[in-house]
Amino acid sequence: MVMLRRKAWRDIKENKGVYLACIVVIAIGLMIYAAMSIVVENLDKAQQVFYSETHFADGFINVTGYPENKVNSLTYLSGIDQAEGRMVKDVRLIDQQKDSNRYLRMVSINMTTPQKINQLRLVTGHLPTDNRSEILVDPQFLQANHLSLGDTLKVIIEGKQATFYITGTAQNPEFIYIMKNSQDLYPSPTDFGIAYVPLSTLKAMVKEKGQVNDLVITLKNGVSFDSVKDSLQAELKPYGVQSIVPRKDQTSNAILTSKIDGLKSEAKTLPVVFLGVASFILYSMLQRLIEQQRAAIGTLKAFGFTNQEVILHYLTYPLVIGTAGGLLGSLSGIALSFPLTTLYKQYFALPGLKSEFSVKYLLISLALAHFFSLVSGVKGSLDILRLEPAQAMRPATPITASKTRIEKITWFWQNLSSQAQMGIRDVFRTPTRSFFNVLGIAVVFSLMTVSWSMQNMINLLTVVQLEKVQTYDVKLQLAHPSPTGTTTQALTHEAGVSKVEPVLEAPGTLRNGWLNKEVVLMGLTKDATLYNILDKNGGRVEVPDQGVLLSEHLAIILNVKVGDAIYVESPLRREPVGQKGESLLVKGVVPQYVGLNAFMEEKQLQRFLRQGEISTSMLVKVEPSQVGSMKSKYLNASNVTTTESLKDTGDKIRKMMDSFGFTVWVLAVLGGITGFALIYNSSIISLSERKRELASLRVLGMTPREVLLVITSEQWTLYTFGILLGIPLAYGLEISMAQALSTDLYSLPAELPPVALLGAAVGTAFSVLVAQSRAYYKIKSLPYVEILATRD
Amino acid sequence: MDVLMEGRDIHKLYRTGEVEVEVLKGIDFQIFQGEFIVVLGQSGSGKTTLLNIIGGMTQATTGELHYKGQPLHNSDEQQLTLYRRNEVGFVFQNYNLMPNLTTFENVRLAVEIAQNPLSVIDVLREVGLEAWADHFPSQLSGGQQQRVAIARAIVKNPELLLCDEPTGALDIQTGIQVLKALQKLNHEYHKTVMIITHNAEIAKMANRVFYLKDGLLDYVKVVEHPISPEEISW
Repeated sequence: MVMLRRKAWRDIKENKGVYLACIVVIAIGLMIYAAMSIVVENLDKAQQVFYSETHFADGFINVTGYPENKVNSLTYLSGIDQAEGRMVKDVRLIDQQKDSNRYLRMVSINMTTPQKINQLRLVTGHLPTDNRSEILVDPQFLQANHLSLGDTLKVIIEGKQATFYITGTAQNPEFIYIMKNSQDLYPSPTDFGIAYVPLSTLKAMVKEKGQVNDLVITLKNGVSFDSVKDSLQAELKPYGVQSIVPRKDQTSNAILTSKIDGLKSEAKTLPVVFLGVASFILYSMLQRLIEQQRAAIGTLKAFGFTNQEVILHYLTYPLVIGTAGGLLGSLSGIALSFPLTTLYKQYFALPGLKSEFSVKYLLISLALAHFFSLVSGVKGSLDILRLEPAQAMRPATPITASKTRIEKITWFWQNLSSQAQMGIRDVFRTPTRSFFNVLGIAVVFSLMTVSWSMQNMINLLTVVQLEKVQTYDVKLQLAHPSPTGTTTQALTHEAGVSKVEPVLEAPGTLRNGWLNKEVVLMGLTKDATLYNILDKNGGRVEVPDQGVLLSEHLAIILNVKVGDAIYVESPLRREPVGQKGESLLVKGVVPQYVGLNAFMEEKQLQRFLRQGEISTSMLVKVEPSQVGSMKSKYLNASNVTTTESLKDTGDKIRKMMDSFGFTVWVLAVLGGITGFALIYNSSIISLSERKRELASLRVLGMTPREVLLVITSEQWTLYTFGILLGIPLAYGLEISMAQALSTDLYSLPAELPPVALLGAAVGTAFSVLVAQSRAYYKIKSLPYVEILATRD
Repeated sequence: MDVLMEGRDIHKLYRTGEVEVEVLKGIDFQIFQGEFIVVLGQSGSGKTTLLNIIGGMTQATTGELHYKGQPLHNSDEQQLTLYRRNEVGFVFQNYNLMPNLTTFENVRLAVEIAQNPLSVIDVLREVGLEAWADHFPSQLSGGQQQRVAIARAIVKNPELLLCDEPTGALDIQTGIQVLKALQKLNHEYHKTVMIITHNAEIAKMANRVFYLKDGLLDYVKVVEHPISPEEISW
């Protein structure tokens, strides 16, 4: 069928703008799909390979001190396969800058017995020598601090200065996402890194002799962590257990896994949105094309072309679009996966994380493109193909000859120009087609709304967290739980200090049936004003006398509501016989944007832990001029691990939020392009469908701008309905977006401010205007005499 | 002469919603091989419907239709398609050319599905459009476009050529050219030609004339001495 192919090719060439718009939208959907899927696969594969090659631990235990020679005996506990002990110490780097806050986490490595769990992978250089002040650092720390092998690092370790030579860089499965603690939110390789030191060297520098403070274990096949946790707790109780964390809750693993899961769900949903819009466009385009070619179809059938031949001819159009869109989308997606994978390398220290050309996603993307385009193609062409040739040769009966609903609003209708009446009437006479266009505009509008509201989410989170929740100036994290009274007293006498509030933070496990979550139990005084718990309306919520307050995200994870009871355990608790934990009532569920906590009254938490009146950090309100000197004073104090000012926290939050910004703006731009493609398509097809009408209007003496009104009135009507439908859609999308981006470290507020709706409406209107300007030029160059002289 | 087609008690009923319209109310007719038939009648008399039924473009609601002795009235869509493909050529009042194919390509389109097609160039020469082969429909006059439509219909080498108002939109001179082409086809290639028209003068060039009135075949007139198109007074 050479002639039919030639006809199809010329049709496509004549309407290249419309076909190009479809191709671009399909390509966008597939680009996102291919790129994200490949990145997910790369991350997943690199994670699995790294974990398996380095024997990543199943459990992580933090103790005050456990005899080194007893570590092996842990394997006698039922279910435990291997156990290893290490020294882990956070040390501060000494800088030229007085109040600099750079830290290294020193992890001991046994140079005599090779590690079996969490094995090190040497990246560059060579291993340090036993008993010498030599260290390996993580490659990101080395690079971020512009260090080289052979350089020295001066640190304060247990109040004493020490100098280490860097002999190489190494990676470990435990530190793929490197953060000092969960409050950090974001890796900052300049300020925090991991260092691996020979055990003998580290032992010589610390006071704990013959002891380790960190244990890692692997489990026997088929054994669950929960089944060994109790026996571990009992065994380690006398040695001051601070936390027992399963692999799933280990910070680095939890973040990497949740990132991969998030990407997986985005890779499934986002492309469907774009491919869905592309399908609307394609469907309406093919339906119009086929309606326009009604007589041509009748002629082909009259000449004896079979239904299969005719349908195959009309499937050429979606096939061309599918192939071009599929190839463009998959190839650009594959290309995009390379820089995206590199981008993730900045956050995840995963050796072996690399991208390669994926034939699999090329084929899947092509198949998807063809599926979506052919489905809309078949759907668009079936109706006319059902007609007898004699029927097809006659013009279609008008869908309704009666007045449309909008015409019944007479005061409105009579004030419209004839062109506007023509355009608007068409919207109501083709409800299915209009519905698809309205739906497309609604999707584009909601995508833009979410992009606009992202800024609001970030502002809300930053403002609420920094101005309303955390109102302290400096937070001092104590090295060990310390007596509340004396510590508070001591700090109150510091220069410029106006208020000191103790906080008790203890690791804990919350259980509701089979659901459980490791969190930090946060004990606050009832009248605390330096850390405020707020309700949805920003009102202050007091910690209850009894029971706990849960953050919203935590309540969702545990599937509990106010009035339910949860079982709370903590390794810090000095438990009476047979009372591992306590059942506590959930007294409230509150929004918490940063962190994932259960809040208790401080005294209640002290009572629960049975360790007396202790605190783990101090919140201090201090004159701004004294913040620097206070930080410097406590930087080297052995009983304070970190000092953090509100500014540091703010910087961390803003940095984390910036990382979302790019993704969200890309989404907005892609949404804009899709919107443009949708409206452009609609206007161009409307134009070609009505070219005889429009040519007649031009012959009557109307200017191109007056003629354009037929098209624009149709589109603004669709736009209005699209925005109306888009508002609830935007709310839904906002909620799911906030849930998808929220992690254990932070949760995003799902609020949609009017400015976001307005901004998105303006953005969508801009897409409409740009598309209409193209239609205007088409009308201006409409060869009306020729059109009217030609018979269709 | 052999009977090419025979119709018995042909009825055609159209339903639009609850409204029923009986366009053909029982028509009996015969068409002989190599005949030139003109169908006359007022608007709404059922001429186009009859032509569509004869051409396999639609089915009669009731009645029998035989082509070369074989029943057509109970044929399915596939059989009707084959019938149209191999036996029938159509010429429409509105030409129905593919606007983005050239003269040559429009004619070639029909060749691609024909069993025993004629040469495209020869046919274009016959209709006097050889020099216009590379032109698109929008670059041709109405008469030229209609001749392309005729060329497209005859290139398949069909047994039966059905023309619905082929000169309806044309001026006298162009109309004559078109009718000459059709008569030549009938005389030289012995193809059966059936023309629907409002113009009673055209009936003078036919062998027989069917007069339709209110969905019935009012009468059939045999023309003893058909004239040539040039002799028609418009």
